[in-house]
Amino acid sequence: MAAFEYRQAEEIRDAFARRGVRYLFIGKSGAILLGFPDTTQDADLFVERGPGNGVALVAAIRELGFDLTDAQAAEIVRGKDFVQLKNGPFDLDLVFAPDGIEQFSDAWARRIEVEGFPVCHPDDIIASKAATNRVKDRESLPRLRAFRDYWARQRNS
Amino acid sequence: MPAMEPDRTPQELEAWFDEFEAAAKRPLRLRVRYAFIKTYRPVLDDEPFRAFDRMADYRAWCETALPSWLGYGRV
Repeated sequence: MAAFEYRQAEEIRDAFARRGVRYLFIGKSGAILLGFPDTTQDADLFVERGPGNGVALVAAIRELGFDLTDAQAAEIVRGKDFVQLKNGPFDLDLVFAPDGIEQFSDAWARRIEVEGFPVCHPDDIIASKAATNRVKDRESLPRLRAFRDYWARQRNS
Repeated sequence: MPAMEPDRTPQELEAWFDEFEAAAKRPLRLRVRYAFIKTYRPVLDDEPFRAFDRMADYRAWCETALPSWLGYGRV
């Protein structure tokens, strides 16, 4: 499987919009959309939990080419905390309950739109990574915090 | 320049800000092309679908199932 491409980000955006899926880019993929220069492998989406959104999500990711069994689709609709998909055109992580963020609605209210992509605010991306406390996140956090400060200054100037 | 990371030298911060400035000049399409890479990650990439009821279950699985050098273990 090749690396995730901008075209595929557009496909997510457009398919999710058609189905009315409520979601946000989160993690390093979200930071990259905001302008953070770094590398990552997966697209990470924070998806609102709820039966209606789950059904719309399954329809959208099937439309994108993910090969889901009915049992797998049911698990997504149920809104497990974390789903890892490697059965489609790119790797996709679906996060329904990211560490460090209380509710989807809080993050949604703070979201940033970048060329039509809904992205978590950098503070939420940082809060999530800090709460996760993984080795790889701890290594990237100082640079991500520096980026957040740079980004905020650019936004306010 | 704000001093947000006391353990970073001013030179390191300066270098980061230079990188942020350079990235900001690139169109989003190009930033995405530079940012997303693909390398094989043992175990993690070996199953087409995984679902975890709770994030804690996923974190625990990362710590027990994945090689530590991937960096998914908690500090």
